[in-house]
Amino acid sequence: MISPTALAPSLAEYLPRQRWFGAKDRTIELVRVRSIEVLAGDGSWPALLRVDAEVSLAGADDARYQVLLGLRPTGVACEFLAGHEPAVLGEFDTAQGQALVYDALLDAELSLALLRVIAPERSAERVRPLGAEQSNTSLVYDDAMILKVFRRLTEGHNPEVEVIETLAKVGFTSVPEPLASWRKDGIDLAFLQRFLAGASDGWNIALTSLRELFAEYTIGAAPPPGDALGAGAATPFEATDPADARGDFAAEAERIGEVTAEMHQALARGFGTHKVSGDDYAKAMEEQVEHVLGPGDAAMVDGARRIISRLREISEPGPAIRVHGDYHLAQVLRTDGGWFVLDFEGEPARPLEERTRPSSPLKDVAGMLRSFSYAAAVALSYQEDDLSSLGKAWESRNRECFMAGYLRKAAEAEPILPTDPAVRSAVLAAFELDKALYEMAYERANRPDWARIPLGAVQRLTSEAARAI
Amino acid sequence: MSEIDRTDERWFQRAVFYEVSVRSFFDANGDGTGDLQGLIEKLDYLSWLGVDCLWLLPFYSSPLRDGGYDISDFFTILPEYGKLGDAVRLMEEAHRRGIRIIADLVVNHTSDQHPWFQESRQSTDNPRADWYVWSDEDKKYSEARIIFTDTERSNWAWDSNRQQYYWHRFFSHQPDLNYDNTEVQEAMLGILRFWLNLGMDGFRLDAVPYLFEREGTNCENLPETHAFLKRMRKEVDAGYPGRVLLAEANQWPSDVVDYFGDSDECHMCFNFPLMPRMFMALRRAQRHPITEILAQTPDVPEGCQWGIFLRNHDELTLEMVTDEERDYMWNEYAKDPRMKLNIGIRRRLAPLVENDRRVMELFHAMLFSLPGSPILYYGDEIGMGDNIFLGDRDGVRTPMQWSPDRNAGFSRADFAQLYSAPLMDPVYGYQALNVEGELRDPSSLLHWLQRMLQVRKRHPLFGIGSFEVLTAENPSVLAYVREWEGDVVLCVNNLSRFAQPVELSLQRFEGRTPIELLGRVPFPRIGELPYLLTLGAYGFYWFQIVETPLQ
Repeated sequence: MISPTALAPSLAEYLPRQRWFGAKDRTIELVRVRSIEVLAGDGSWPALLRVDAEVSLAGADDARYQVLLGLRPTGVACEFLAGHEPAVLGEFDTAQGQALVYDALLDAELSLALLRVIAPERSAERVRPLGAEQSNTSLVYDDAMILKVFRRLTEGHNPEVEVIETLAKVGFTSVPEPLASWRKDGIDLAFLQRFLAGASDGWNIALTSLRELFAEYTIGAAPPPGDALGAGAATPFEATDPADARGDFAAEAERIGEVTAEMHQALARGFGTHKVSGDDYAKAMEEQVEHVLGPGDAAMVDGARRIISRLREISEPGPAIRVHGDYHLAQVLRTDGGWFVLDFEGEPARPLEERTRPSSPLKDVAGMLRSFSYAAAVALSYQEDDLSSLGKAWESRNRECFMAGYLRKAAEAEPILPTDPAVRSAVLAAFELDKALYEMAYERANRPDWARIPLGAVQRLTSEAARAI
Repeated sequence: MSEIDRTDERWFQRAVFYEVSVRSFFDANGDGTGDLQGLIEKLDYLSWLGVDCLWLLPFYSSPLRDGGYDISDFFTILPEYGKLGDAVRLMEEAHRRGIRIIADLVVNHTSDQHPWFQESRQSTDNPRADWYVWSDEDKKYSEARIIFTDTERSNWAWDSNRQQYYWHRFFSHQPDLNYDNTEVQEAMLGILRFWLNLGMDGFRLDAVPYLFEREGTNCENLPETHAFLKRMRKEVDAGYPGRVLLAEANQWPSDVVDYFGDSDECHMCFNFPLMPRMFMALRRAQRHPITEILAQTPDVPEGCQWGIFLRNHDELTLEMVTDEERDYMWNEYAKDPRMKLNIGIRRRLAPLVENDRRVMELFHAMLFSLPGSPILYYGDEIGMGDNIFLGDRDGVRTPMQWSPDRNAGFSRADFAQLYSAPLMDPVYGYQALNVEGELRDPSSLLHWLQRMLQVRKRHPLFGIGSFEVLTAENPSVLAYVREWEGDVVLCVNNLSRFAQPVELSLQRFEGRTPIELLGRVPFPRIGELPYLLTLGAYGFYWFQIVETPLQ
């Protein structure tokens, strides 16, 4: 329908413009079109094509991308493309005449056609795109189903599809129910799940909670100074403890803890457990310390080494299991049926092998704990006053409640944690440190102003370690 | 002369109810206690407000040890309230104005002063010996919980005369009737017929889950109880079409729906768990406490309806929330131990929301648009306060504040003669807050409420339309769509005390235009993209979604 040789050079220009293209900093040397498949509109308009393209990058491994293209005859107005100019490839000659070629996922008609290809037994009347993400694009059908279209293709099972299908199989119900997966030649192309209508994510609820807490100070009804109203006048209550403030998040944090433990138990059931020693984790952690902390950070380096050498000494840090890998407040959704966990792709920037490698469930726990810290810091950044002590109080209250819920649930089934609380704390501290260092590196590269958030955590953890000896 | 339409058998699905205590409303004869004649004189006010049906707290003869819920004669009126003729005239006058009247009816028990009980306790073989539940020992039905935990230690009480224990689920001066005795069933149906013949439009059935007792059960919601309610319904349907039975069953929604039967038990049931959840959602600035309970609430059968309310004469019911949530609500609303009663909280709406006019408006907007028929509590339309220093539930039954005159314009009796002092504090006292002042102030809560009720009446969908919660990323925003026969209303509520943005997916209304219902203000046309709205602190919108009018 369209010539691969004509398409390839346009793709080389088109790909770097896309948010989901992961190698923006690399120069594309060559785009090779592996295949073009007509999914809809063979001989009629609009047409839907699936293009499988191999991209050769300067100084990096080749990457494989899936591009879904829409075709409509030139001269016909396409309102849905207004404001989305970067998503247009250009005009091409086809067997049916000249056509405008663009990202098909912006075209509602073609997005509905795509659903019919992937899940012929499902039907929908409407579709809307959901915010673009780093490695995939999501479409919501009738507020009932969500289709994740993977942009970058990897050999083997996509971790998202693999984990969610497995979790559903072993009876873990706190993931959106898988409805259909689209696979070709052993490669996952797209994944259809139930859409959790009416839900809101943990990050937004946590920020709501913090906003309410801070407002107890900033707009709290303080009485006039002295005894302006005479004896016996009622003094309005002023909350200082997050437990007494409006918008308390602790009950939710505890429930997230419970769901997290259930998720880990289900992952252990579905993917098995592996025996590891603390030493197995330590090497990569040490490398990260070297990589992130410099000679000027002697105290932190010292504390970090203590934490890691403590981990190294632990012969039984609990089993390694398949983990979520990128666990934080925005990955959990509050629905009317409780909390759900999303997005098992892991950190997209890391290689697949690393993302699917078994690890300690405390790695995810550390991720969530770090997320409480980020929530407090982000909420503080909107405040004019220094309310950091309140932010800390919020963080520690929700850490505690999350841990209480997690540990209680984790104790209910097959052990997935070290039984000795001291060992558990040591392993958790190491993963928290590791996560905070990773964040530091990330923030320095991308948002230098934010680097102080993980820095605070690294300082806290390393100074605690120094005191403990 | 009646202006109500008896052939309209589903009026209650679209009606606005108003719960009123005759004692507290208006005193026409100047004896210090409100009366039926007083209520008649205020019917024009209630009609103006937009009330479709009055729910009267018990007005029967009673020793008044439980606010009249301890009835000693079902066929006579409490003398302070008037005579039977006054009750008949009240019904006629109300009907003339298109207002219906339902009355509280206690079917589970009577006062221990009721002649039935007095006769029953004489001996074990008198004609009414089996009209109550008697036992030689106090161990039977041990699985039934004690409801009034503050005052009662057992569901059994000793009667020294008969030398036996009698069963009581509530206060010990309220013995439970024995519904296993068909004479009792017949007697109760006779009471219903008596009032229906006089023109009563229905009953709010008090404490219905407890009619029967069976060993090995918690003695609540038993099949025998449902069977009797079905019998009662049959009786009403056969002889008195267009009347309504409203069940008070303070249970989980999934149990409460059983009281609708297959549309052959009660026409209406209270939705108890919704209200505490609204207060919790407010406290957390988060919609999930509300949507969670709505998601657990089954659809009502055809021809039935929920009764929903913000406050009523009883406490804020916490029986049905989980322990964690109950602690949470207690902590928030009851820092003062005097505010605790049983396991609930007795406060009026305004003090509960710290007299925040914006919250009162938001909550009423939700009350008028969530699934169910709204039930207002007298005085809440002007934001009346309460007196937590009064015992029992009297703190929320102070005199209606009509004007800044003596005794709040409620009575011309001497102050000392009043059944209860009107509120006189600087915030809620009658000199600061009264109907006259609210009527004179065009921007008052009262005028706002009256206007809202007018708007609500134009859209039957608020009573009988479908209900769908919309997805909103912002957890502080609760948005839902009501729809009925092509009429569509979108309601958006901000539960936060701060301004909030929200993006709503309104794709299925693409091309149509939202018109704000209070001012008929057209908003931008709904396009393909998520619809962006900004809400002020505690703000809300009602939009009618219409075909885009000509520009």
